Amino acid sequence: MGANDNINTLHSILSKILGISAQEVTDQTSPDTVPRWDSYNGLMLVSELETQFNVNFTMDEVVAVKNVGDIKASLRKHGIDL
Amino acid sequence: MTEHEQAFTIAILSSFTARGVEEAVRLACQESGLPYRTYLGGYNQYGQEILDPQSRLYAFEPLLVILFLDTRSILGDYYFHPYVMSDSDRRQWAENKIQEISSLVEAIKRYSSATVLLHNFEVPVYSPLGILEHKQPFGFKESIELLNAKLRESFKDDFRVFLFDYDAFCANIGKRHILDSKMYYLGDIKLHTRHLPELARAYTAYIKPMLRQTKKCVVLDLDNTVWGGILGEDGIEGITVGPTPGGRPFWEFQKSLLALYHRGVILAVNSKNNFDEVAKVFSQHSYMVLREQHFAAMRINWEDKVANMRSLAKEIGIGLDSMVFIDDDPVNRTMMKEYLPEVMVVDLPNDPSLYVKTLQELDVFNVLQLTEEDWERGLMYVQQRQRKAFEVSATDITEYLLGLQITVVIELATTMTIPRIAQLTQKTNQFNMTTRRYSEDEIRRFSQDGAHLIVSIKASDKFGEHGTIGAAIVETGRKSWRIDTFLLSCRVIGRRIEEALLVYIIEQARTSGVRTIVGEFIPTKKNSPAKDFYKKNGFVCTESVDSGQRWEYDVRVQSYPYPDCITVLTGETPTVWAQTTT
Repeated sequence: MGANDNINTLHSILSKILGISAQEVTDQTSPDTVPRWDSYNGLMLVSELETQFNVNFTMDEVVAVKNVGDIKASLRKHGIDL
Repeated sequence: MTEHEQAFTIAILSSFTARGVEEAVRLACQESGLPYRTYLGGYNQYGQEILDPQSRLYAFEPLLVILFLDTRSILGDYYFHPYVMSDSDRRQWAENKIQEISSLVEAIKRYSSATVLLHNFEVPVYSPLGILEHKQPFGFKESIELLNAKLRESFKDDFRVFLFDYDAFCANIGKRHILDSKMYYLGDIKLHTRHLPELARAYTAYIKPMLRQTKKCVVLDLDNTVWGGILGEDGIEGITVGPTPGGRPFWEFQKSLLALYHRGVILAVNSKNNFDEVAKVFSQHSYMVLREQHFAAMRINWEDKVANMRSLAKEIGIGLDSMVFIDDDPVNRTMMKEYLPEVMVVDLPNDPSLYVKTLQELDVFNVLQLTEEDWERGLMYVQQRQRKAFEVSATDITEYLLGLQITVVIELATTMTIPRIAQLTQKTNQFNMTTRRYSEDEIRRFSQDGAHLIVSIKASDKFGEHGTIGAAIVETGRKSWRIDTFLLSCRVIGRRIEEALLVYIIEQARTSGVRTIVGEFIPTKKNSPAKDFYKKNGFVCTESVDSGQRWEYDVRVQSYPYPDCITVLTGETPTVWAQTTT
């Protein structure tokens, strides 16, 4: 998958779980800006990202994520081209 | 089925984060077309919510409470060092847990009308003692097994409590895949989210029968479904069924179907074949497990299968929505789905070695309780087919009924018959004057309150037993009695058995010095066969509005004989309600 496909996948996961439109997503999108991004949906996000991108985050990585920018950084670290 | 379906209220209580469970349950109900509302208990708040009658749980008025406590939560530190406790302490621990759980269940039963779906506990694979685990006088795993065994025992006879075998559910998935460690530490999620849909589907197996969405009949194709090969081309010697690699999948498929028959599922055939050739296979093939005697009805012809299906439903006397169609041919399946969407069509895999698994995974035949009638239902429908053949040969109805040699036994409700009476009030749609649905508990209460006469009627004829096929609930006043419920299973309508039951009530009323009997008719979409019953039997209509009619019978003026084509035996003299009138 190319970088564009990966971005689309990421956006569709975010919009499915957090109930926001893909256009609204920025690197600064975070639990503070999205009402549905609570701790439980945060974990659902992790679970869905792991399945879709076939990666496995460590617990430290999950805890360190504060916004969408951090998610992208973690995905890149796992070799996902974004 | 009630005329206006109300949302089925499901409460989920658990000892960990169960938001995902709730979401999965909502999805599964949606997929199955079940009307639902859900309530998710607070995180680990189950104890308070259950024990406080004012809690939000009870305000929600649940019809089903799913109590999902997991092994790690209830074990606490004991999970890591169980052997810190002595053997006897561990045994005591298990006893205490049983007590705790039982009192929670009792509280739910007391404060609500809900049925409880109670999880048992996943038996851990790990033991700190490793290979010596099973050498202990009372082991760690043994303590969880004991807990599970005791739970099962405690609620065996309690039809408001169903045990959900979570240990088997985990084993089926593979216990090493149950927990996602990261999610467990981060969010106290005890079941990996990827298994939630399967858990919810397993719950619907309990929910469907509670909403009376139970399939009653399996309709089978024959060629390449019940046996391998095509009878018309391969002949009786060429088809495969029996103890060979090619024949075994069909052989065992037939055995699994026979197991369904024995638990009360009706079997029928819908096949394009020559009847005589098939009859020969049924009677002469050494390895056929299913024989002609197991089928309530057969359509073996060259008509189209959709038309056959309709006429099977009519002959057996059940709705298309209680039928399941099994056919290896995708074209037939597509056609059935398109023309008769009410029929459940099984997507049979191409490979016959998967037939048995497919059948065993269908969880659509569940009922909440098997009565004696259920065990024998398959047989009773077969006898019905023989009766119909006899009906064709008899020239008029009187001769037919006389020839049937019907005997009925009318008796007061007992602990033995109450489950069946409740089941009849819940399932009978056609010959049902008022369609009032009652639970076993409610019937039991009526039978003890001294103000009701509850009778059931059993019938048999020269072809065999029908079992308990009718019931009436009568509110017994001093001067006037009101027939609250009067119903008869549709398979015996038209044999004057209903008259016998009515005469019995009239006679009892006369003996008790009662003046009038009041009957009601409440119309539904399905009960038109019962519409003129009171009219035909000497009742006078005193009130008629859209929502129903009221009929009266003057006991003192009119006497009423039992129908002469029926031998009537009555049980003991009633005592409970007789006291209220003397």
